[in-house]
Amino acid sequence: MDINYVGESLLPGKIGQFFVILSFGTALLSCISYYFATRHKEDHSWQKIARIAFWINIVSVLGLGSCLYYIIYNHLFEYHYAWAHSSRSLPTHYIISSFWEGQEGSFWLWMFWQGMLGILLVFRAKGWETPVMTIIMLCQAVLGSMLIGIEIFGERVGSSPFILLREAMQGPIFSDPNYVSMIADGTGLNPLLQNYWMVIHPPTLFLGFAAMVVPFAYAVAGQWQQRYKEWMKPGLPWALFAVMTLGAGIIMGSFWAYEALNFGGFWAWDPVENASIIPWLTLIAAVHVMVAYKNSGHSYFTATFLVMISFVLVIYASYLTRSGILGETSVHSFTDLGLFWQLIAFNVIFLAIMVYLLVKHKKRMPSTQKEEDIYSREFWLFIGALVLSVACVQIIASTSIPVFNAVFGTKVAPPIDPVQHYNKWQAGFAVVIGILSAFTQFMKYKRTDVRKFYVSAIASLVVAVVITAIVVYVTKVYTNFMYILMVFAATYTIVANGRILGEAIKGKWKLTGSAVAHIGFGLLLIGALVAAATNEVISVNNSGYIAVAGFDQVEKPGDNLFLTEDEPVQMGDYRITYVGDSVVPPNVYYKINYEKIDEETGRVTESFQLRPFAQNNPQMGGLIGTPDTRHYLTHDIYTLITAAMSDTHQQSQGADEQTGFEDYEEPAIYETNIGDTLRYRNGYIVVTGINRNATLQNIPKGEDDVIVGLHLNVHTAEGQMYEVEPVFLIKDGATYDFSKDVEEQGLRFRFSNIMPEKDKLELMVYQKPVPEKKWVVFKAIKFPYINFLWCGAIVMTIGFFMAILRRNKEIKPEKT
Amino acid sequence: MKKSSVIGIIVIAIAIAMIIVIYADSSTYSTFTEAREKQSELYVVGVLNKAKTLYYDPTVDANHFSFHMYDNDSTECKVVFRGAKPQDIERSEQIVLTGKMVGDEFHASKILMKCPSKYNQDEVEVIEASTAQIMGFTETPTDN
Repeated sequence: MDINYVGESLLPGKIGQFFVILSFGTALLSCISYYFATRHKEDHSWQKIARIAFWINIVSVLGLGSCLYYIIYNHLFEYHYAWAHSSRSLPTHYIISSFWEGQEGSFWLWMFWQGMLGILLVFRAKGWETPVMTIIMLCQAVLGSMLIGIEIFGERVGSSPFILLREAMQGPIFSDPNYVSMIADGTGLNPLLQNYWMVIHPPTLFLGFAAMVVPFAYAVAGQWQQRYKEWMKPGLPWALFAVMTLGAGIIMGSFWAYEALNFGGFWAWDPVENASIIPWLTLIAAVHVMVAYKNSGHSYFTATFLVMISFVLVIYASYLTRSGILGETSVHSFTDLGLFWQLIAFNVIFLAIMVYLLVKHKKRMPSTQKEEDIYSREFWLFIGALVLSVACVQIIASTSIPVFNAVFGTKVAPPIDPVQHYNKWQAGFAVVIGILSAFTQFMKYKRTDVRKFYVSAIASLVVAVVITAIVVYVTKVYTNFMYILMVFAATYTIVANGRILGEAIKGKWKLTGSAVAHIGFGLLLIGALVAAATNEVISVNNSGYIAVAGFDQVEKPGDNLFLTEDEPVQMGDYRITYVGDSVVPPNVYYKINYEKIDEETGRVTESFQLRPFAQNNPQMGGLIGTPDTRHYLTHDIYTLITAAMSDTHQQSQGADEQTGFEDYEEPAIYETNIGDTLRYRNGYIVVTGINRNATLQNIPKGEDDVIVGLHLNVHTAEGQMYEVEPVFLIKDGATYDFSKDVEEQGLRFRFSNIMPEKDKLELMVYQKPVPEKKWVVFKAIKFPYINFLWCGAIVMTIGFFMAILRRNKEIKPEKT
Repeated sequence: MKKSSVIGIIVIAIAIAMIIVIYADSSTYSTFTEAREKQSELYVVGVLNKAKTLYYDPTVDANHFSFHMYDNDSTECKVVFRGAKPQDIERSEQIVLTGKMVGDEFHASKILMKCPSKYNQDEVEVIEASTAQIMGFTETPTDN
């Protein structure tokens, strides 16, 4: 059955699909050509082909993105992607977010960044270009294959973003050739993603993921070309770049979670979060061992292994988040798009390359017979990397429980309290890492002057202990020994690296990057610890707490507080009042006033308003709250709506045409005469007269017809007066009546009958029920010193950037 | 003894400790009957009993929500949650509870719902003339 559909714009999809195929084909061609260009160095034609294919690939990736953007921007809902991820009401900047809400869009983002990095490498990698680009284009081809969406040998390969809605789904409307005009709107973007951080977080994160392939490619090239000693020099700045961008991306995600998600924190050890932090940690470890190798010649294998495994873990992370294997263990992973086995193949290809090269070249790798000296920097860098790796193994093992279940057919559930489970381990590792990154800075490569080392290390230690005592006292984390230990480790890092930074400014400028990054890490650790350990729910419900039989003895008061409009409640230091809400469809903003009152004078010393909002989105699972946070230098106050009266939400949906009688209470029926006075809730009504000359719009008055209006004056208690005239009609022997409303008073009148035998007029008075007072249920959390966390993250990123500049300078002297 | 062997032994020791702890911390997906026997925190998977009323009255207590749920063995149990009612629980297809049995009630500390989201049940909203009507249909499986 062929139907000629009307109104479909098939062209952008066709062009887009062409670019999809072209980008895959050119990536593959470029990869193969680069491979032969590496094998046959003297023959430049291979390289020429590879480069041409590469540039076409860049163009097609850009073309692909433009087509998809065009489809979303113009609301072409005949395409499944636009329909599933956007809607007409989305503002432009969120259209960008909806672009990468789906898996296809995020794959595109990855390909785009990988292409951009490829351009840099084509221009700058010189002698490394061919082997490095072979790997990068291989990865580009694999990513490209994820978007193909065509069947090969009966197996569908990839998932195309240009698939039409009628191809993706079946339904009665698609038998109508005119179905396009019948699609009202797309399903929209998940409200949680409608946050400005979601515009910037995914591109940064994917730049980080894409950048991870470059050090991997250099490591592969180094073994393949047997340029064992050389690859780390150009590879190191790339590794630092990947660490910096991925780190920034992760922290942005964490900030987004804190600002926009409703779980009340900045890190929840969700599998999706874990998946992104694992490769970051291993690459951090790799960077340290690479530096150690460059300066001492030790740990070549470890450095190479860590660089390679980091990228393999990036792919593993994609597998975890994109294949649907996490199932119910994660709140925000993707569901399977049918790419399950393709993602596994992606993993296997790169794992195989890594294992093959490591095994094949193991014997020829540079190694030293001599063991590292205990008083040497390289030894402790190695230990640090080892600790990081072990920490990673723990995260991987716990996160991979669903994978083990799938492989072994078991049904093990992840830990009940993941935060506690991970923190137990990671706190210990963090302490060790903190202490290591403090004293190792006083070590020298190969051999350290032991006496000098102890003098500096112990001096800093003493200062750190004093500062720790102060910090612990101020932030009130002294309740737990582990907390104190962590604060100490972080402080020691800050103090020791602060000292190095002091010296660096005087002359040893080389170490500034590392010192700044480590200081940032220390600050981040303190911020995370204090905010996580001492955050307190301040909306504790104990004043208005009403006992439920047999329940209150076992449970502590809950975290949610009930607020009625305009009724202040004391909550900790604050007097809070829910003062109403404003509707900006599709969101409802709840205004909550916070006032701090001086107990003695009774004056308001501080006041502010928070406007957490919520979106009632039935497609996404009901009321979705977005918190609002008041930021102070030393703490944040975070407020989230957990429940609200449903009326406000209906208004925001725009269904406000109340024509029926459902909104009114049962009517009062009066038999009246002119001059009568009737009472109603907010005043009285006077029947002033009959209008025999009443007319009705659209209804011509026939000869025998009677149209009579009953004139009423409504007097309110406030002294206002409204005039209203319901109409009674006899037409062709049948009787009708036309009601009239006084909206302001919630009144409706029906002149429903004339009873000549009784000489009475029948009047029906409808009143709207008294509106229920508006209420909200909300939760407020105080996060102390969380600014340390964000500040530390920024400082750390700056430190990485300084390190990149330094390591990049080191390559320049010896051009190949 | 060489330093590397010392380090190796330490790493192995930590690894073994980790495996034990992961094993000890990991839980099981179980049923109300099992929860009654074990009296410890665990996961219960099941579906909401839509025939019985869900009780949440924030004007009385904003932190008390109770409902009835069938577990995978079709055992019904009353569930009490100390918190606000998760929105749209009525629409959920599956519920994963974390918590433990107290008397005859299951006290949940966490409720995870699987809702018919846009990913697994698609509905195209259709406009016809001026009245909006909803036509529901399901997505075709993508891998056949």
